[in-house]
Amino acid sequence: MRRLLRHRGDLLAALAFLSPNLLGLLVFTLFPLGFSMVMAFTNWNLRHQNMFKPNPVRWVGFDNFWRLLQEADFWRFLGNTLFLMIGIPFAIAGSLFLAILLNKESRGGDRRIYPLVISVVAVLVSAMLLGLWGMGASAMELLLGTTAGGILLLGAIGGRAVYRTLLYLPSFTSGVAIFVLWKDLYNPDTGPINLALRPVLRNIQNVVRSIPPFWPRLGLWAAVLLMVAILAGAFRRLGRHWREGDLGTGIFLSATGFMIIPTITAWFWFPKVGAAFLLTLLTAAIVIWQWTPLAGTRDADGRGGSAGGLLLALMTLPALFVVEGLGIVCFNLPAQAANGLHAPSWLASYYWAKPGLMIMSFWIAVGSNNMLLYLAGLSNVPPELYEAADLDGASRLDKFRHVTWPMLAPTTFFICIMSIIGGLQGGWDMAVAMTQGGPAGATTTLSYEIYAQGFQRGAFDKASAVAWIMFVFVLLATLASWKFGNRYVNE
Amino acid sequence: MSTNEIAACESPALPRTAALSRAPMARGLIYALCWNVPLALIALTMALPFIWMVLTSLKPLSEVGLANWLPSHLRWENYARVFQVIDFARYYWNSIFVAAWITFLQVLTSAMAAFAFSRLQWPGRNKIFLLYLATIMLPGLVMVIPNYWIMIELHLVNSFTGLILPLAFGPFGVFLLRQFMLTIPPSLDESARMDGAGPWRIFWDITMPLSRPGLITLTIFTFMGTYQNFFWPLVMLKSQSLYTLPIGLLYFNSTSGQATNLLMAAVTMSIAPLVVIFIVLQKYIVKGIQIGAVKG
Repeated sequence: MRRLLRHRGDLLAALAFLSPNLLGLLVFTLFPLGFSMVMAFTNWNLRHQNMFKPNPVRWVGFDNFWRLLQEADFWRFLGNTLFLMIGIPFAIAGSLFLAILLNKESRGGDRRIYPLVISVVAVLVSAMLLGLWGMGASAMELLLGTTAGGILLLGAIGGRAVYRTLLYLPSFTSGVAIFVLWKDLYNPDTGPINLALRPVLRNIQNVVRSIPPFWPRLGLWAAVLLMVAILAGAFRRLGRHWREGDLGTGIFLSATGFMIIPTITAWFWFPKVGAAFLLTLLTAAIVIWQWTPLAGTRDADGRGGSAGGLLLALMTLPALFVVEGLGIVCFNLPAQAANGLHAPSWLASYYWAKPGLMIMSFWIAVGSNNMLLYLAGLSNVPPELYEAADLDGASRLDKFRHVTWPMLAPTTFFICIMSIIGGLQGGWDMAVAMTQGGPAGATTTLSYEIYAQGFQRGAFDKASAVAWIMFVFVLLATLASWKFGNRYVNE
Repeated sequence: MSTNEIAACESPALPRTAALSRAPMARGLIYALCWNVPLALIALTMALPFIWMVLTSLKPLSEVGLANWLPSHLRWENYARVFQVIDFARYYWNSIFVAAWITFLQVLTSAMAAFAFSRLQWPGRNKIFLLYLATIMLPGLVMVIPNYWIMIELHLVNSFTGLILPLAFGPFGVFLLRQFMLTIPPSLDESARMDGAGPWRIFWDITMPLSRPGLITLTIFTFMGTYQNFFWPLVMLKSQSLYTLPIGLLYFNSTSGQATNLLMAAVTMSIAPLVVIFIVLQKYIVKGIQIGAVKG
């Protein structure tokens, strides 16, 4: 009874404590959420409804959505969003790599040898600088040498924190300032990237012109074979998981569907139809080969491996695209070199704007929160596991595959889901600050389309419809993370 | 590199209790170099854009766009010029003013809500908390358009009030602080209650001081986030006198023409506070990110 009374007193207090934040949440988050749903079903456009044209706002049902789905541009913007997301797995792999490097005690492990390490590094750095100076290095080379030496010395003195700070800075400072900076780095004529690329490209051009034309074709076929090998490996693993019953049929089928996408695009993109044909044929063969023994397997309900299966598919897809891209580049190189290789005009070019943004995003994301999360994950791996692996005579690679990677699986899963959710909503910031969604819509993502429609054209109806379609994608990713994440983490 | 050295790199150096003999010292040294050199090279590559930025900001206009990154002489007056060309000081002040208000409101209301969720017992607590949990994953872009409409209706477009209000009540802070407050032993509250302290006293005198690390973390994150935020300011702010730093930079970027050196000086000055704050407070920041992920 006393407990109940106390709780009644607490209820009033709780309401008082909660109300400011809850009120703000209701007015500026929950109400807008519902209201944007309403907007998506009306014809609310500031151009049609304003003080000069007091047309009533009408309910139009699903019209906005149907119209969007019939628009070629909408699909293109969705494609841009997904295209920019291809960079995500590379950034995650980079973060993991950096975290592993950072996780080692960079000063030799024992406090008593720090002075020795610092003095040896100092001697080496000054020797290097004197050497550079003596060989008559240019001011630029001296600058780079000094900076590298300085970082090395600071690292020897301050340890991990120094490198962590330097690697984390791009993501911590990322924002308009960084985008403006990169816009100038990418300047086609005066930007440092192209200034550095031009001499390199001249050398490549000379080399390519001197090699026989048969090599590039070989490169194309090598790319095809590599794609087949990657596909075969991924299917083997997926198939094994399915056979063992820890991967649901639905997941297996959708992962398969995902991974065949590059084969289909290869049909359009590969310059020689023969290569594309072979690729399609081999993919079909692999799929059939993997599926035959699986026909009539029981368990349709996914178990623990589902998240792993999805991850595998999501990580394989970008690798396939990159190999495909390299194949195309390889094949086209001789013709390009004959005409002269030119540095790309990056953000001003329809084809290079997206890769340009992806390179910048990689630079930002590789040392980001993901790296810090991996670092925390690595320090939580019990050292006994490594000691046990040492006793079994495991190699470094074995230890990574069988100890580090599985122990980091929950972290990886969390990072992947967050990156996918972020990627689906991403791109507007870079587009606003660097490209205005151009050239010719090449960098317009769904989120930038919301901005452009809603705030530049006053089309609240269309912008809300796009926002809700994006929301559905985000929701699906979130639900997937809840459904599979718990299983995965509890394993 | 000889095989011995490679072996030395590969085996992790274990802490030794015995006095250091010469061999482990050499091993430790080589091990240290093996990890330091690649890390330093990667860090240098990552830092190149920043190096270019600072050097370009010190160049005279005639040297911008040359392959040589080094200015012939250092023109520090570029930094002073920025303040004359655009109203940079005002942008700085606006940014800090807005970020300070948002941070103050966010931290205060979040702490109060987190207190209600962690230290008070009341029916329906878990259901309302679930509501908070659900809103954290909502994409902000969905809410932006109705919020803009609300601000049109309230005649708050192009005002700091309209800029601050929607950003001041997020669910994230409630989460983070609840995590911290749950770790405070309940016996403290009980004994304070015995002494006749009301909830407000308990909140202010016991819970708040004990969740200081959480409050600091949330303050840093909110402040940094708002200082960098530019979607909502871009939508809301129309007149130049209200521009925050990111919007001012965008404006300068579109009007500066070829004056890349001044632009880079402005960019350098806008990220310099962030760099300083990170170096000084990195302990809290790194912790906060790792806690935030565990809970998310």
